[in-house]
This record gives sequence, structure tokens and C-alpha cells, in this order.
Amino acid sequence: MIGPRDRESFFEAQRRNRHATWRVSVVSVLATVVMGIPLALTITPLLYAAALIIADIASIWMPLPASFWQHANDIARYGMVALGWLTQGKTANPQALVISAAVLLLPGAILSVGLWLGVNALFRRAGVGGALLALKAREPNQSELKELQLADVVQEMAIAAGLPAPKIMLIDAPAANAAAIGTSPNDARIVISRGMLEQLNRDELEGALAHLVASIGNGDLRIAFRVTSVFETCGLLVAIINSPFGSRSRGTLWRIVRYGVGAKKNSEGSAEEAAVVAALLTHSAGLETDDIDNFFDTTSRKKSVFRSIRNFLFFPIFFTNMAIKLSLWFFSFSMLEPSMALLWRKRKYLADASAVQLTRNPDGLAEALRKLNSDRGPIPGGSWASHLFLVSPAGSDRVNDPKANAAQQQMWARMWAASEASERSNSSAPAPADLPSVMGQITATGSAAMAGDASAMTRMMAFRQAAATALGKSVDEMPNLADIAAAQHGDKAAMQRIAEFSNKAKANQPVTSDSQESSDNSSNFAGFFPSLKRRLKRLDRMGAHVELESDGGKSWIVIAVLAVFLGPFALAALALLLLLIAIMVLASLAFLMVWMAFIHEIFVVFLHH
Amino acid sequence: MSTTTLIVIGLIAAALLVWFIAVFNSLVALRVRVQNAWSDIDVQLKRRHDLIPNLVGAVQGYMAHERSTLEAVTEARTKAVASSSGTVADRSQAESALSGALSNLFAVAEQYPQLRAVESVQLLQEQLTSTENRIAFARQFYNDEVMKFNTAQATFPRNVFAGTFGFSPATMFVAQDAERVNVQVKV
Repeated sequence: MIGPRDRESFFEAQRRNRHATWRVSVVSVLATVVMGIPLALTITPLLYAAALIIADIASIWMPLPASFWQHANDIARYGMVALGWLTQGKTANPQALVISAAVLLLPGAILSVGLWLGVNALFRRAGVGGALLALKAREPNQSELKELQLADVVQEMAIAAGLPAPKIMLIDAPAANAAAIGTSPNDARIVISRGMLEQLNRDELEGALAHLVASIGNGDLRIAFRVTSVFETCGLLVAIINSPFGSRSRGTLWRIVRYGVGAKKNSEGSAEEAAVVAALLTHSAGLETDDIDNFFDTTSRKKSVFRSIRNFLFFPIFFTNMAIKLSLWFFSFSMLEPSMALLWRKRKYLADASAVQLTRNPDGLAEALRKLNSDRGPIPGGSWASHLFLVSPAGSDRVNDPKANAAQQQMWARMWAASEASERSNSSAPAPADLPSVMGQITATGSAAMAGDASAMTRMMAFRQAAATALGKSVDEMPNLADIAAAQHGDKAAMQRIAEFSNKAKANQPVTSDSQESSDNSSNFAGFFPSLKRRLKRLDRMGAHVELESDGGKSWIVIAVLAVFLGPFALAALALLLLLIAIMVLASLAFLMVWMAFIHEIFVVFLHH
Repeated sequence: MSTTTLIVIGLIAAALLVWFIAVFNSLVALRVRVQNAWSDIDVQLKRRHDLIPNLVGAVQGYMAHERSTLEAVTEARTKAVASSSGTVADRSQAESALSGALSNLFAVAEQYPQLRAVESVQLLQEQLTSTENRIAFARQFYNDEVMKFNTAQATFPRNVFAGTFGFSPATMFVAQDAERVNVQVKV
């Protein structure tokens, strides 16, 4: 089982993924910087405008020295140099251009970096995945076999990795998944659901936990913290520039300030608050404008002079706001998110390879991933930190998995046979042994029942009964085919029963704890997981025995053809969007300048002597 | 002119010094990791010694006919405890003998269904399985660290002065029992 070749290959895989991480993180940093340029360009004039207004107001009471206004003039002139060069092709000497660029970019860049540092400091206390701390998690019970095994396996993996053993948090949820959270190997915790414990045997559990421990050892927690902090900073920026217009953004900001000032050290409540704030921030980074639309919505309310003056005064700021949000959305959608997702996928592969190094048993992890793929789900309250999980909590990969399919078909066949035994008197044909014909029989009887065949319907009801007993549920929890058939023919009572059934089924689902953590949040991180098939392929290369049906290798042809046909259109669309953003940024600059000059004139004419 | 050459020479000397310090510190760090890994194995071996009397006590009542198997385990444990202050070779031999006696005990215990059904025995068995694994993983970690340490010393340019600074290659922990295939890594 263990041979020099295998050993070679997982070290090789680790080396490869580590190098890939370096390359991708350089790209990510570049993407962040590129995104920062239009951002800084739009934020800077806002800062200048704020400074100018403050200076104007201050000079009402104590006139500022003339040199101050002289400097302000110089700054404005330098700013114009680069703009003239950009828009009209005016020649300028390089030194002036550099100063001009600094004047235009630095204040916004400094503000953004400052915000980023602030976000880092704010959430460092709560760490990554603070949301999960607030869950009803418990320590494993050492006198119960499965949970003792869990504690033991975590210890073993920590020893194999030479790390302090992470704390274990067990969650009594049926969804099978696990995550590593924290900020460093010293305060790392492993969150695991009871459902996962039930499904995996010792070897598979070992593989799954080795992945998590290896990812702690590789320093993924710090990387995850950095990645989320960038997105949170974007959210904070949007919240700040929205705050003059929308009450919701003001609420978010107020909550952040309150959290930053009043959070107690490491208390449960503060971790929960941190999670909620983080969720609010990642949400507000979207391109939502409903908060602002209310502000300018003049149709529903009475027109007043005050309102139109206010709208006039705020319009340039609103325009800047739109420019910032559009460029944020565009760059994060086209550059930041893909590069971060790629980075994270490389870390997942790296953790898989390290897990093989720890266990020297690639089969354990491969089997665990395969099993979890069919039964995974979000752990309640964990959607915010969903990129930290072992397998993506959202939806399952469609992998041609002959084992899982066969297992499911066998279960159906068993249930079918069981229902037949109970209906012995009615049915005539004995159950065929081979699976495909059983599956064919089930679908044929089902469609006959839907068409109104009474004996087929009794057959399906017996099947329902058998399925309920096989799955350990009461009959009422299974869908009722008779009701569905009746509802199709317009039976009101049956329709009512179906509605009740689906409500009940919804109520039985594990409840996601907060309304703010809606499930769509986890789709933000969907691209952060490599597909199961790729992970299994890589594990296969490291010596796991996975059987995957190949899809004939035709998918890449389809993708290539699509790329050839749609590629130019996509590029054109991208170029158009970029052009639009550039125009908006420049227009917002121009608007703000005119606006600044106007306001300043008002002050000079009416209030200054 | 001469000042610039002096500055350049000084900078090169400073860079060399920094590089020397970095290499030396990394070697020291690796050596400390190897030592830690070694003491980790110790801890796990000790844990196994402590667990065995409990296990023997728990199963004695059910396995009255297997006195010889139980005695073999107890004896192997006594020898292993006695060897903890001995040489590495003695030690690994005694510990391997203990592993063999334990696996024999587990194999015999498979024939007693009523024994396997007892929850406390199950828990004990899990703990012992885990201890066996921990020893194996600690050994694996130790060997990995030794490999890193030795490779770091053997590669150019560090091999030039690793010996003069008093670094010497560490030895791998080689398993004695036949069931585990050793991984031979060329250093």
C-alpha cells in the first residue's frame, strides 16, 4: 500500500499546489490593486470635497490663512494635469504626471487600505467563522463510542501533523459536513456535524479530519481571513458611500461602530455579533440600489423646494456612488472573485495532498468525499463561513458515481420487493432480480397510477408504505401519489393536503438560524470549491482506488466550441463595460469638480468677507 | 570612489551575515522539531503503557481461558516499561513485542462475541487502537521531520558548513514489526 512512488507523488502534489498558490495569490493581489485604481479615483474627489466643505465652514468663524487656499489651488491644478493628459492628450512632463497621479489616487488608496486594516483589526477577535462559535455546539461525549473515536482521530491527525490538537465542536445536525475555523493553529477549532459522524467509518473520518487538520497546518485560516476581509472591506466602502442616502446602510455602519467600540473579549455574544456584521458587509457589497432609490423617489411624495435643493446638492455624490458601485461590482465579478476562488481551490487541493501525507491512505479521504457529496448540506448558521467547509454546502456535484447509483437503486429495489411481499394477494408477477427492470417497473406503475389505474395506485401506495418503513419515517412524511394524481384532476382537498405536506416538509428541514444569513449567501462561495470529480482524480493519482466513469472527454470540445463562438462577444461586452466604467469615473470626477467649485463659490460670495 | 566600494563591500558582508544567521536558525528550528517529534513518540508510548492494565483488568473476567495471551501482554508491557531508559534499539524491540502481543490479544478477543458487546471494553479497545495509531503517526511525523532535517543539511550550500556548526544527520525510527513496511528514503 505504501510505496516510494506514492510517497513521491503526494509530496510532488503539495509542491505543485504550493507553487500554484504563490502564482495565484500574486494575481489576486494584482487584481485587488487594479480594482483599487478606479475606486481610489472616485473616492479621492469625495474626500477633497468633504475637506473643502469643512475648510469653508471653519473659515466662517476663523479665516484660514491665504497659504492654505494657495495649496488647495496647487493640488487642484496638479490633479488637472493628469486628467488633461488622459482625456485630451495634453503633453506634460513625467514628474508632474506622477505628482498628479499621486494627488488623484493617494487619498482614496489610503482610505481604502485604512478601512481594510480596520476590518482586519475588527474581525481578528472573532476570527474566521465566528458565526459557528455561536451555534449550539458541544464537546464530544467521551463515553460514547463514535464520539470517542472522533476525539481520538482528531488527536491522531494533530500528532501526524505535529500541531496542537484543535478543539472539537460537535453539532447535532443531520447534514453531513465539517469545517476548520479560527485564525491560527493555536486557536483553531474543528466543527463537525453529528450526521457526518454517523455516515463515515473510522478510515473515512480519518481522511476527512486529516484534510481539515492539514488545512490548519498549511495556514489556510489566515488566507481565508485575508480573502474574506477584502470582500468585507468592499462591503464597508459601499455602506459608507451609501450612508447619506439609505437608512439601511446607516444601520449597518452604526452596528459596526457599536461592535468595534463595545465588543467584549471572546464572549459568545460578540462572536455572534461579529458574524452578523460580517454577513451584513458581504451582502452590502452587491449592486443593490433600493436603499438609494427611496431617497430620490420624488413621484410618491410632495415636491418641495427643500427636496429639490437637496436632490440637486446630492446628485454628484449619488453619481459618484453609482460609479464606485459599478466598478466594485465589475472588478470583483470579473477579477477579484475568480482569482480568490482559484486561490482557494488550490488550497483545497493542497490540503487534500497534505491529508494523504498525514494518513498515507488516499482511499479514506476519497471515500469520505464521495459519501459526503451525496448527503452534504449547510450546517445551520454556517452559511457565512461556507468556504471553510470540507465539501461545498450548496447543492451536490453531479458525478457519474456508479457506486452511489447502484446503492440507491438497490435500496429502491429492496423497498419495491418489500411492498410486493405485503401486497402478495393482489400482485401476480414476482419481483425480477435485475435492477434496471425493477426501476422500469416502478416508473411504469407510477405513470399508470397517475393516469388513473386503480390497481397500480394501490401498488404505489404499498410502495410508499414500504419506503417509509425502510427510511424510518412515518407514512405521512412520504409524498402521497394519490393526492398528486387527484390534484391533477382538480381535487381541491388533495391540493390542500399537498400544500400542507410541503409546508410540513419545510418545517422539518433544519432551520437556518438568522434571517440575515440566507442560503443565497453560500452561493457567493460556490466557485471556491473544486469539483468532486477533480478532487477524486487527484486523489487517484496519489494512489486512491476511485472508479469514475469517464464522460468520454467530450465536454471540453463543447467548451472549446462555445469559447470560439461566444468568446469575441464576451470580450466585446467586457470592453464595453470597462469603457462605461471609465466614462462614469471620469464623469463623476467632472461632476464633483463643478459641484465643488459651485459650493465653494457660494461660501465665498455669501459667508466669507 | 573608495567610499562607494566600502559601502558595497559592507552591504555584501551584511547580506552574507544575515543569510548565515537565517540558515543557522532554520537548521536549529528543524533540529528542535526533530527533538519534539521524538518526545511525542515517548508520550504516546507511555500512554500505551498506562492503558494496558485497564484493558487486561476489563477483559480478564471474560477471557479466563486465555490466561497465556493476557500474561504475554502483561509481560511484554513490563519489559517495555523497563526498556524506556535503555537504548533506542532495545526500546523499539520491546515496543514491537508489545504491539505484537496486543494484536494477538485483539485477534483472540474477536472470538468472544459477548466481550465485543460490552461497551466499556469497546471504548477501551478504541482507546488502544487510537494509541497504536498515535504511535504510528508520531513515528511517521518523526521520520518526516528527520527527512526534512537531513535533506536541509545535505543540500548545497548548507552542507558546506552544517558539519562545522555541529549539525549531524538524525536517525530514522525504523519499525521492527513485519506488518509495517518501512519507507526507505534516500538521504
